[in-house]
Amino acid sequence: MPLYICNSKPGTVSEEAKAKIANDVTRIHCEVTDAPPTFVHVFFFEDGPQPPLGDKTAMIYGQIRAGRTEAQKADIREQMGEALASHTSVASEDLMVFTTDTPASWVMEGGDVLPEPGEEEAWLAAHEAKMAALKEAAQ
Amino acid sequence: MIHCICMVQEGQIAPDQEESLRRDTADFASRHFGSAPEFNWVTVGKGNGFTEAKPSNSVIVSMNADRSLAPSSREPLLRELCEIWERGAGLSPNEVVTVIRDPQ
Repeated sequence: MPLYICNSKPGTVSEEAKAKIANDVTRIHCEVTDAPPTFVHVFFFEDGPQPPLGDKTAMIYGQIRAGRTEAQKADIREQMGEALASHTSVASEDLMVFTTDTPASWVMEGGDVLPEPGEEEAWLAAHEAKMAALKEAAQ
Repeated sequence: MIHCICMVQEGQIAPDQEESLRRDTADFASRHFGSAPEFNWVTVGKGNGFTEAKPSNSVIVSMNADRSLAPSSREPLLRELCEIWERGAGLSPNEVVTVIRDPQ
């Protein structure tokens, strides 16, 4: 988490563009929120059921941890919209970016409940220490 | 109704693994939430999944509970669901994301 789903009409997002968009989405999310990139997921679908495209050509739907400010979310929407437009031929009015909040305590990743926003650094250090200990114990 | 979305990467889960994962996940939901879930099994095509901007090996299993859960109740359930998928799919903890949502 976060999970960003990019849904688009077939042929809208090239294979090459997918890697670039995934890179931009990851970078933007981390720059805006200070979250580590480790657990940023970006999945692409064509004519997928979620999010429904309606009259749009391409859409990015982000499920992010609750606690981000409205300014951060607006920044994410704006920057990701620009990234999506720049790597495709989709006009800005034909694309959409939106997010929903998921409480961190509802999510487990890497075997640990996710931290609240702002507590990532300590969480990541503890998580990496735990994973290293598990690896050592397995050897 | 319990809904369960399972997002997996193409080629990651063998058909026999999928069968046992569905069975074990359904059993989990029945024991803890009172009924087997309605599955939405989504395969992310090759070249379409990225984690940390690199090709993804992550599965995301998202289920709604039948009631609101306190963190102390939710964490062991998240862990149990995570372990079902680690064991059943042969994945590391870092490759499994589990989500248990309160009813909307």
